[in-house]
Amino acid sequence: MTILATEGLTRRFPRVTALDGLTVDVGPGVTGLVGANGAGKSTLIKILLGLLAPSAGRAEVLGMDVTTRGAEIRGAVGYMPEHDCLPPDLSATEFTVHMGQMAGLPRTAARERAADVLRHVGLYEERYRAMGGYSTGMKQRVKLAQALAHDPRLVFLDEPTNGLDPQGRDEMLALIRRIGTEFGISVLVTSHLLGELERICDHVIVIDGGRLLRSSPISDFTQTTRTVVVEVEEGRDALAARLTELGETVTPHGRTLLVDIRTPETFDTLRDAVCDLDLHLVRMEQGRQRIEDVFREPADA
Amino acid sequence: MPDLPDDRDRPGTPDLPDDRNGFDTPSRPAGPPAGPGRTRERTAVPETPPAPSGAPSAAPAGVIHDIGYRHYDGVRLGRAHAAGALTLHTLRGVFGLGRPARSKIIPFALATIMMFPTVVSIGVMALIKRDPIISYTGYAVTMQVVLAIFLAAQSPYTVAPDLRFRVLPLYLSRPVRLLDYVGAKVAAMTAAMFLVLAVPLTVLFVGELVIDPPGPAHTSDYLTALAGAVVLAVTLSCLGVAIASFTPRRGLGVAAVIAFYLLTSAVSGALAAMLESVNDYTAAAWAWVINPFFLVDAAVQVGLLGAKASGPTTYPAGAGVVVTILAVVALIALSVTALILRYRKAASR
Repeated sequence: MTILATEGLTRRFPRVTALDGLTVDVGPGVTGLVGANGAGKSTLIKILLGLLAPSAGRAEVLGMDVTTRGAEIRGAVGYMPEHDCLPPDLSATEFTVHMGQMAGLPRTAARERAADVLRHVGLYEERYRAMGGYSTGMKQRVKLAQALAHDPRLVFLDEPTNGLDPQGRDEMLALIRRIGTEFGISVLVTSHLLGELERICDHVIVIDGGRLLRSSPISDFTQTTRTVVVEVEEGRDALAARLTELGETVTPHGRTLLVDIRTPETFDTLRDAVCDLDLHLVRMEQGRQRIEDVFREPADA
Repeated sequence: MPDLPDDRDRPGTPDLPDDRNGFDTPSRPAGPPAGPGRTRERTAVPETPPAPSGAPSAAPAGVIHDIGYRHYDGVRLGRAHAAGALTLHTLRGVFGLGRPARSKIIPFALATIMMFPTVVSIGVMALIKRDPIISYTGYAVTMQVVLAIFLAAQSPYTVAPDLRFRVLPLYLSRPVRLLDYVGAKVAAMTAAMFLVLAVPLTVLFVGELVIDPPGPAHTSDYLTALAGAVVLAVTLSCLGVAIASFTPRRGLGVAAVIAFYLLTSAVSGALAAMLESVNDYTAAAWAWVINPFFLVDAAVQVGLLGAKASGPTTYPAGAGVVVTILAVVALIALSVTALILRYRKAASR
């Protein structure tokens, strides 16, 4: 099942080409859209909402063409913009009810939905206060709530963790994951922080300069590599020397060592080496590829 | 040595919580509560095997009831409903309803001042049994300063915050279109202006009917005044909202609208006085209608409906009436065009 698909999608502005022949196919679940600032993420979302016409190519959201059925798409999709979008003199409740009505819900239904959704995003008593006095974290929650007010089938979240502290960021990410799984609403979430998306996405699309760099399931990104990561308290170099002596391939990586797994016996060699040298073993885990590596290495996949 | 525990390769269930400390403990919080309330599973999310064993799945005892996420199965109305909701929302905003108390002060103070002539007239009617001392058709012209202040104070509120706090892109991400948005804003301001003017007129008329002073009731005057109020509300609102939409700063919008009124009324008054001093009353009549209040009075109440001129002098007559009507239409068209162009530009950003 395809939630959204683009084919050769191109958007040129007078000075820059924001999207350049982008072809992607996104299924249900949580999809991450990764790219540096100016990579074309926001342009893509605007096109998918039918607010911006593509210069070339085509795009479909929930099976509807963006150029001809924009209004229908906007009724079925929620959008959380990157920028501030909250009038300061309204309460979160008033605002969410209003935005629910704007998406076609009758007033009583919108009231009920707003109360539900605000509770889900974690706004309680403060939702009756004017939003001008909210913290960034609370504002992000209201922005998310208004995107969910009309129970969309798909939400576009543009940089939802922007400006949040580490704890707020974790809460927001957990919430996004819940939306994708428990709520059953597909999510397209953009970020320029790769580590975050790795933790919540089923699928990741990496774009750069309007071009597709990579699009694959998260499992491809974080598949286990044939290395084991070892961290010891002290004597990293001694351990490296010992292992090399025993014929293992060792690469120092910060405080850790990456040891290539030649055979299952490598683990035994490693254990014995640590014991023999009388080192304090902090951790030992299977090495894994991180999304960052996509940028570090040329995309050969 | 056995493989290290690893639950992260399961398709579709990337791990949630922080694993940056490097320990591969199954620290995942309890999976989605598969409780009641998940009435409808709409998309087939690849939610394969249950959360890793070891993670307690019971909800914390402190939570009374988490009924989970509920989908909405009810009706979804179209653009017309959304535009109506936006109009009502804006109208409430103009009067500060659902906003902090300080937002209510100015609109309600001005609306109260608009009632003064009505209250005094009713009092006088009741005491000495004579006709209302203020004429229905002259109400708007007499109270034009108050109406102008109301327009200036409240029309920026309809558009400026949406531009300043960037709510506009959010509206446009909903099914409503740009024209619906502009239409709703103008409609709300028009309704507000009409209410501020029509309520005193209606109260006055009801008062007259109840007190029943000698002579016939001024029913046709009242209806003429209401018609004039409609056109005046449309004209002024289009003008006010159009002027205010050019700045995202509310204060600047207030200043711009009041400046427009002061300019037209001052130019109109000064020019007319000058022309009258040289006894050119035809030209002076034209000078008066530079003021939008006199213009609408001349075009609708006097020109179309044959009321007595409420201005300090006569209005252009004969073909002049047609010109004033065209001027009103042109003024509305110009304002609406400016608004649409303005919002086309704002939306493309």
